[in-house]
Amino acid sequence: MNVIGAALAAAAGLALAGAAASVLFGRSARARVAGPLTALSGVAAVVAGAAAVAGASWSFATPDLLPLTGVELTIDALSGWFLLLVGAVTCVAGTYTVGYVGRSGEGASSRGALFLLPLFAASMMLVPLAASVPTLLAGWELMAVTSLLLVLTEHRHRPPQAPLANATQSDERTAARAGGAVRDAAVWYAAMTQLGFVALLAGLLWLAAVAGGTSFAAIRAGAAGMDATTAGVVFLLGIVGFAGKAGAVPLHPWLPRAHAESPSHVSTLMSAAMVKLGIYGLLRLGFDLLGGGATWWWLVLVVIGSGSALYGITQAAVAQDLKRMLAFSTSENVGLILLGVGFAGLYARSGNPAAAGLALAAALLHTANHAAFKALLFAGAGSVVRATGTRDLDRLGGLVRTMPATTIMFGAGALAAAALPPGNGFVSEWLLLQALLHPGPDAGTLLTIAAPLAVAVVATTAGIGVATYVKAVGTGFLARARTDPAALARESPPSMIVAMGLAGLACVGLSVGPGLTVPALSRIAADLELILDTGQPMVPSDLALRFDAVRATLWPLWTVLGIVAVTVAVAVTARGLGPARRRAAAWDCGDGPLTARMEYTATSFAEPLQRVFDDVLAPERDVDVTHVDESRYHVSAVSFQQRIPDRIENRLYQPLLGIMRRLGEQARGLGNGSVHRYLGYMLGALLAVLVLGVLR
Amino acid sequence: MTRSDWLEQAINLACGLLLLTAVGALWRREVSALIPILSVQGIALTAIAALLASEHPAGAEAVVVAVLVGALKVVVIPLLLRRVHRLVPGARETRPLVNVASSLLAAAGLSLLAYAAAGPLIDASPSPTARATPVGLALVLIGFFVAATRQRAVSQIVGLLLVDNGIAATAFLATDGVPLIVELGVSADLVLAVLVLQVLTARMVRTFGDGDLDDLRELHD
Amino acid sequence: MTADVRGLVIVALALGQAVLLAVLAPYVLGLTRAVRARLEGRAGGRLGQPWRDLRKLLRKGPTSPADASLVFVAAPPVLMATSIVVAGAAPFVATASVAGRADLIVVVGLLLLGTVALALAGLDTGTAFGGMGASREMTIAALVEPTLLLSVFALSVRVGSTDLATIVSAGATDPASVFTPASALAAAALAIATLAEGGRIPVDNPSTHLELTMVHEAMVLEYSGRDLALVEWASSLRLTILLGLLANLFVPWGVATALTPIGVLIGAAVFVVKVGLLAVALAVGEVFTAKLRLFRVPELLAGSFALALLAVLAAAVLG
Repeated sequence: MNVIGAALAAAAGLALAGAAASVLFGRSARARVAGPLTALSGVAAVVAGAAAVAGASWSFATPDLLPLTGVELTIDALSGWFLLLVGAVTCVAGTYTVGYVGRSGEGASSRGALFLLPLFAASMMLVPLAASVPTLLAGWELMAVTSLLLVLTEHRHRPPQAPLANATQSDERTAARAGGAVRDAAVWYAAMTQLGFVALLAGLLWLAAVAGGTSFAAIRAGAAGMDATTAGVVFLLGIVGFAGKAGAVPLHPWLPRAHAESPSHVSTLMSAAMVKLGIYGLLRLGFDLLGGGATWWWLVLVVIGSGSALYGITQAAVAQDLKRMLAFSTSENVGLILLGVGFAGLYARSGNPAAAGLALAAALLHTANHAAFKALLFAGAGSVVRATGTRDLDRLGGLVRTMPATTIMFGAGALAAAALPPGNGFVSEWLLLQALLHPGPDAGTLLTIAAPLAVAVVATTAGIGVATYVKAVGTGFLARARTDPAALARESPPSMIVAMGLAGLACVGLSVGPGLTVPALSRIAADLELILDTGQPMVPSDLALRFDAVRATLWPLWTVLGIVAVTVAVAVTARGLGPARRRAAAWDCGDGPLTARMEYTATSFAEPLQRVFDDVLAPERDVDVTHVDESRYHVSAVSFQQRIPDRIENRLYQPLLGIMRRLGEQARGLGNGSVHRYLGYMLGALLAVLVLGVLR
Repeated sequence: MTRSDWLEQAINLACGLLLLTAVGALWRREVSALIPILSVQGIALTAIAALLASEHPAGAEAVVVAVLVGALKVVVIPLLLRRVHRLVPGARETRPLVNVASSLLAAAGLSLLAYAAAGPLIDASPSPTARATPVGLALVLIGFFVAATRQRAVSQIVGLLLVDNGIAATAFLATDGVPLIVELGVSADLVLAVLVLQVLTARMVRTFGDGDLDDLRELHD
Repeated sequence: MTADVRGLVIVALALGQAVLLAVLAPYVLGLTRAVRARLEGRAGGRLGQPWRDLRKLLRKGPTSPADASLVFVAAPPVLMATSIVVAGAAPFVATASVAGRADLIVVVGLLLLGTVALALAGLDTGTAFGGMGASREMTIAALVEPTLLLSVFALSVRVGSTDLATIVSAGATDPASVFTPASALAAAALAIATLAEGGRIPVDNPSTHLELTMVHEAMVLEYSGRDLALVEWASSLRLTILLGLLANLFVPWGVATALTPIGVLIGAAVFVVKVGLLAVALAVGEVFTAKLRLFRVPELLAGSFALALLAVLAAAVLG
């Protein structure tokens, strides 16, 4: 058995051991055993993935385990990349779980929740390995079910908030409301993921039927002769299933709800790893199984990607719930990845495999970068939520003094997510822009128009993204605490900081040495019949990104070193001049000491952007004026409420839900309790079958 | 006439009697009239079974089956039905969902459909009496129709019994004979079903004072 | 020249360029102020006044607000560092020096990093003005990004690379390629973007003292002493960088394309002259324009975005 087989067996074994441990151990030791076992399972998956992207291969088939078709597993470079991603995120999440879930035995530290966590991770590792349609669907559904149950973890027991001076029955009401929100999130998630699954089922089974076999090898062979309409419909169904799982607009309403309401270690796994499997599905279906397809397929992906990127970041910019902001940011990054994938397909269709390889490389590098920094960000957010009990940015602040390690980690993640130069998000965004900026000499009209528009989308997204993350870090962590829970926060336990540190190391590695991923990306591109041409023999230790074919070079290591060196030099030099620094009160216009209420909140920070995008966001405002009893000219209190709804959800989903509700109410008459009616249905069905039999 | 011709004529006669009784079940309004109709149907079915048993190579088992069918359908079931009927004597189908004339037309239509649908069955069957299979299928459809359109609980039971008679007839006519074990199983099921329905009807009469199924319209917790 | 010697020369050149720009920047600021004063009928300060201000501030001790953290202290060095790195790496004096190291997207990103550092510092002070300045500055920065990157696109289409040195040397060696409609449109778009990035009228008034009209100044209200010196210096350095980029991208003659001492000296001199002329033009423009209301700025930036998009289309269609 080669390295991959051994590593995968180890991963599966460790995951099962973690699940068993969570059942067997008592509540004080449960998390401390199950978490590291899950993390080690992730490490094994990383080893397997790394071996696969380095060129090793492995396959496994057994006729048992699944009825009718059995299980078939194969690994190639593309699967290896995603397996590596999933494994790395699992490692971070497993380590994080140890400190995050606590020892209360309820909610996230209960038997059930810790039992499901390794199973969720294992099912995510199964999906990229699948080599036949039933295996893929089984892994997909297992992933969906386990994640759904994990989303529901805190619907009864929210972890206790930081001690408040007057914490009484308001806690119960808050807990009840929180439980309702969790259940609402779970319902949306369940409905949309099952909708995606049905679409996937229909599409993939139809594909298997037309191609004459359920294994991917058979489909690859049989799809060559498929007619364009069938292939197109299959791909569209695949988009509904895979892009819905990835959280692309307009299939996104579940994402902000589920990622915000689930406990943070689950959010990390879902946002950093699970949505990438949607991307994997699209790549596998579009490029590999269906062999490239038609131009309009990729154009649909480009449009969806652009919409997701713009809408996602706009909603993130005005969100005041920290985890909802991160969830919408995931949607935005998925949009950028889909943009890259779409353009890879467009370039491939227009006969430019080099540019296609570059676009694909950009998309894949962004999946890795996003996994790294989103894991870091959600871990940091979970740290904040655990310490302060609130996700509301308007109530946080001042955490830089009470939680310095978390602040540094979150700041590093925010730097990467904002796509600013020393961060790793910048590297993949640079690569994406390079891919868009070189459509090639004989690109058609479509590409000539689409490429600049895509550049505009990427640029707008990047700009608003920077503002979003400045808001998150600035209002959430800096200055003074705005409320008591934030002031009473304490730093997280070491396991959580170690987990964040692991994710941070991954970010640093990817930002300083992206050239190390180029051999893997070339192999994946070659597998999908594209070219990633660096123009010169590759030196394995070359850290920089160099594509001589398009005359683009990026030296992140030098940039980072330059910035750091010069900063230190300037700081040290300045320190030597003049008198020492002293502290004093900030200027308060002579009116007395400044209070925390005078700081800008997240809502006020985002207000200019919200005004600029007023038409897209359509905020709902409510002003309530209470007058003094004696005279209507005097005001005793004014209350202002602003809500920014999800406009796509209101315009697209609420009418659909209304129609379904009306249909359901009308259908109630179908089952009104009359025995005759039921018997009549049976008779009618029997007669219909007989008539059909006669007619045929 | 040869023995097999005479046999075939007798079977056709019995089948005709089956069909006639089925239509009769649709025609008569008084529930008390349904029980003799079912008894006659049972006799016809027993006759078919016995006639087929006389020609059967493995004769002993088939004779036992015929005896079992007779005991069940001529004696036991009508007895049980009389017990149910005694709960609400003098019951009539006053408001059937489909009136009598339309029911009879429907029965004719169902018989035609049964004839058309049974074509493949006839072709696939090894037995020479298979040409009469449509009768069995028609009996099934008419029994279903009775159950679906009649108001009283007793009528529903009668419909179920008609369906069972039809299935039994199809089995006898189209196959090489029903094995004993199958017949035992089916009979046990049927008796059990009728017993359960009897209990439910008694319950209903006790609660509502009448055996009218329309009282069961509203769904309650 | 052997590779090692060439490497050393390049590093020396980068350092020298950074020093040149750092020394030049306050004079550029002084020039704009002097021209503006003269046109407004005032006597105004002398050219070297910003340098004297810097010297005064460097001698004074900095004060941090009570609520601020390390971010407030670290922001001025970070801002200065990003500006110096760009000043050293971008091809202002010679193109041969930094070939392959100054990508235009990286330059845009580094400038944005400096803005972000200052915005975080503004939020860190815990005052309402700091937050206000940070909020406005980030909104403007977010809306300028698309224009900047699209202009990059327009410029790189004709050269086939986003590397600054390649673009500048292509323009220097082939003058006709500069006078295209795409270039003109891109120049207009980049000019407006420069005004926004540099915090000049009509986007922001650098010499206002009414806090509610401030954008950049509001973020740095709490800075004093050498912190303020670094911030002011870095702001003028950024303005010089932006003017220098504008000059070298669209009027690239005089830039040294080979690493000869004479060429480098001529390149430096021509650069100083070009930036000076642009500073004068900037000052004249400022005198005759008023600052826009904050919520009219997006319209201006949308206009520059449209110009940049037209530049790209022109580059693709008209070649």
